[in-house]
Amino acid sequence: MILMSIFILLILLTIISFFLKNRPWEFSMYSSLLILALTFFYAIIIFSSGYQGNIISNYSVGLVPSIGINFTTGASSLTLALLFLTTMIVPIGIYISRNQEFHGLFYGLMMLTEVGLFGLLISRNFIFFYIFWEAVIIPVFLLIAIYGGEKKETASLKFFIYTQLGSVFLLLSILTLFAFHYYYTPSHSFTLNMSSLLSSAFVSSSAIPVFWKYFIIFGFLFAFLVKMPSFPLHSWLPDAYNSAPYPVTVILAGGLSLMGGYGFFAILLPLSSIITSSVLWIIISLGIVSLVYFSLVAMMQTNLKKMLAFASAASMGFVNISLGVGIMETGAFGIQELTGGIYQILAHGLIIALLFATLFFIKAKTGKENIHSLGGIHREVPILSSIFLGGLLASLGLPGFAGFISEFSIVAASYYVLGPLIFLVIFGMIITASYHIWAAQRTLYGPFNETLGRLNDIGRHDIFAIGSLLVVILILGIYPNIIFGLLEKYVEVLL
Amino acid sequence: MNIINMLQSSDFTTLIPELFLGAIAFIMLFLGIKYKNPKLYSAMAFISLLIAIGLLLVFDSSVSQTYSGILQINDFGLFFAIIMIISSLYMVLPSTREVHEKPELFYATLLFVNIAMIVAAFSFNLIVIFIAFEGVSIGTYIMTAYGKSRRNLEAATKYFFTGTIATSFILFGSAFFYISAGTFNLQNVAALQSHSVLIALIFLFVGFGFKLALVPMHQWAIDAYDGSPNSVSAFLSTGTKVLAFLIILRIFLVGFSLESVDVYYLFIIISIITMTYGNIAAISETNLKRVFAYSSVAQAGYLILVLAVVGYNYSANANELAILAGMYYSLVYIFMKGGAFFSVGLVKKENAKIDDLSGLAWKSPAMAISIIVILISLAGVPPTAGFFAKYYLFLSLISGQLWWLAVIAIVNSAISVFYYLRLIVIMFRRDGDNQFDLSPSVYYPVAIAAIMMFALVALIYEFPTIQTYVLGLFGV
Repeated sequence: MILMSIFILLILLTIISFFLKNRPWEFSMYSSLLILALTFFYAIIIFSSGYQGNIISNYSVGLVPSIGINFTTGASSLTLALLFLTTMIVPIGIYISRNQEFHGLFYGLMMLTEVGLFGLLISRNFIFFYIFWEAVIIPVFLLIAIYGGEKKETASLKFFIYTQLGSVFLLLSILTLFAFHYYYTPSHSFTLNMSSLLSSAFVSSSAIPVFWKYFIIFGFLFAFLVKMPSFPLHSWLPDAYNSAPYPVTVILAGGLSLMGGYGFFAILLPLSSIITSSVLWIIISLGIVSLVYFSLVAMMQTNLKKMLAFASAASMGFVNISLGVGIMETGAFGIQELTGGIYQILAHGLIIALLFATLFFIKAKTGKENIHSLGGIHREVPILSSIFLGGLLASLGLPGFAGFISEFSIVAASYYVLGPLIFLVIFGMIITASYHIWAAQRTLYGPFNETLGRLNDIGRHDIFAIGSLLVVILILGIYPNIIFGLLEKYVEVLL
Repeated sequence: MNIINMLQSSDFTTLIPELFLGAIAFIMLFLGIKYKNPKLYSAMAFISLLIAIGLLLVFDSSVSQTYSGILQINDFGLFFAIIMIISSLYMVLPSTREVHEKPELFYATLLFVNIAMIVAAFSFNLIVIFIAFEGVSIGTYIMTAYGKSRRNLEAATKYFFTGTIATSFILFGSAFFYISAGTFNLQNVAALQSHSVLIALIFLFVGFGFKLALVPMHQWAIDAYDGSPNSVSAFLSTGTKVLAFLIILRIFLVGFSLESVDVYYLFIIISIITMTYGNIAAISETNLKRVFAYSSVAQAGYLILVLAVVGYNYSANANELAILAGMYYSLVYIFMKGGAFFSVGLVKKENAKIDDLSGLAWKSPAMAISIIVILISLAGVPPTAGFFAKYYLFLSLISGQLWWLAVIAIVNSAISVFYYLRLIVIMFRRDGDNQFDLSPSVYYPVAIAAIMMFALVALIYEFPTIQTYVLGLFGV
């Protein structure tokens, strides 16, 4: 009920921000911060009274109950962790769009993206899950198509077609579950409720023929892999990230990969009883290939924005590995593996948002985002480059930052399944570390590129905005148990 | 039987809507001698079509067989009769500015076409269907030619010639159907003789497939939609297509119900070819109206998937869902395709190219948003009505165990996203110095179509009710 109220408030604020003529930035900034605060306090209240890992705060509004369309909401620790991520990165995205000449349309679309993500995470009904899944794509498409940089038209179309292809397969899988559930229930009733369609009693029953079980898994997997993005469905990624303006890139990197990850742990994990080990090995190998391949590609980039785009995709490879290995393992290792995967989505979202936001300031100060045109800027802008360095270190998985917790738990728990293949993962991590350090060394340190002229460091507000993100990453890295423990409970229930 | 008795018989009262429209049409022709203002006639046509819907609801709402089973009045036929009238209502008012001379003839023809459509919606006899269908065809030949440019006449001529060929195919097919079934009645066919039934099937399919513009009988449609006035293209691609769809449903699912395996294979092949060809051709097209024309071809490919599901006949539930999806799709289709064709009117140039839309979003945001809604509905993106239409269609495919067909259809709908969304991207370009025609006769139809894309979603509340109509396809 409370969650639903926050969501409705968010929708109202979004509608207002579309039509606001004066001060649209201030309005959307404050309203997104308000949503962040409300979600945060809601999470604190709900978890302070103990959490058992089930779906809590269920609420349902019957729209067309006879054909199973209800607006059902519910939350778990997975949902709330990712809601926290969403509501955290949208204000950052809006914040860095401050000084640009944007109208209400821009901020309205940014807020609409948040509506889509928020609705996606709280929906417990498949039709609304799908509607919000699509509701994220359209504003992001428009943001790239209207405000993008070079090649914005091809980039936005490519982005939309890839994700739409994923969505239609998602729809097919939903329809398949729906159609078989109709015959499965003795009373032949329609339901689109996630909890009943994903219940292991139904999915592992003989009501679904073996072929259709593969079909369901394929559809979901395809949709989520496009969003991650995972090898080989990634070719929209460099264009979209590069062409999108920075605020949108922040949302793309943090928010859209979140959708794929959320699908992994909210839909594929409950379906784990029908995922055969051959499919799991495909997921794992795609994860490993993503990690190694994208890291190698990122190393070749001379453009920092593109490098970060591939770095983002590479670290989502860990999520693939975590799901695949986690289902195969049992007991404490499985829990640690899967929880690490969820934690990786959260950590990756925060870190990549921080990196892109910082890179935006570097671009704004120097006008450059190419590694060769920068160099030694630490001399001129020490605070900015320190925060950027912090982000890079967090991204490569240095202990003390949130990324380390998830990567460590995934790698440590994977050994029993992957065996010697673990060296490939570690190889990927080494490449990741090396190009992060290399990029930091070439851009931030070394001799200053005098052609850049005198630079001013960022102001107090900017330091507060991106600094707070770094602080959150540090807190989650030093004391992970505030969220890790809750996520473990969620995974325990499903295993 | 004297004439008073005849007027009171139940057979006769069911025809009151048709008679009413016919009377108004003749009154229009008489008035045409004196008054030449198109607005008068379009208002008359609008009001009389509205009254006709009322009359249909009054006189044709109870289930009955009239004229010894030739016309069967039931909710299924009523649904289609009403949505075909709605498709005429939708184009009546905006069409005034495209009708320059002899307006009374244009609107009287429209009413005559509507009479034929209502008759066809209820008819179960192949000959009556043929005559009603010819009535619609001849009327639309006249309406297509309502313009003076060369392209216009070329389009009308092409439409006329191909239409005549289609007619002869239908007639030939009907004859073979008679040889094979021993009756023109589509219902209760006891046996179909094998040596002539396939000829009947193919010939009837070719004849009606022309009107539905299925590949490979589609080429006339592209030229005719392109060359006609916008409101006529909107009507041609919605009203007459829905009629052709209804007739195809009735002939092939009722008349050929003993041959459902052949129907299944035929429609599966044709629907795959039609969807794929329509979408791929639309991608490489730069003329705005032809893009919509090809997309209309592709949409017809989705529509006839209904026949594949029912022909495959996996379960009664899947069949009902498929026909229900076909009904809802037809209704949604009227507004989404009609709105798309009206939106071409925004461009002031002749022969509008897709690049001529550039800058629309900055000049008229309301129009841009309306077109975006229509386009994403055509692409099948939620929460628009186009999505729910596709949703039920694909659901019926899955329920009918035709998963591979669902995959092909869905991949096609993902391809189609490209050319719909390309238009959106173009609208947001800033470099355009195009002038747009924002007069009410363009503005309102497009805006109404966009509103309907959300309003029709509310109809899914009524799906359990509409599902009870479905069996009306097979007769009373």
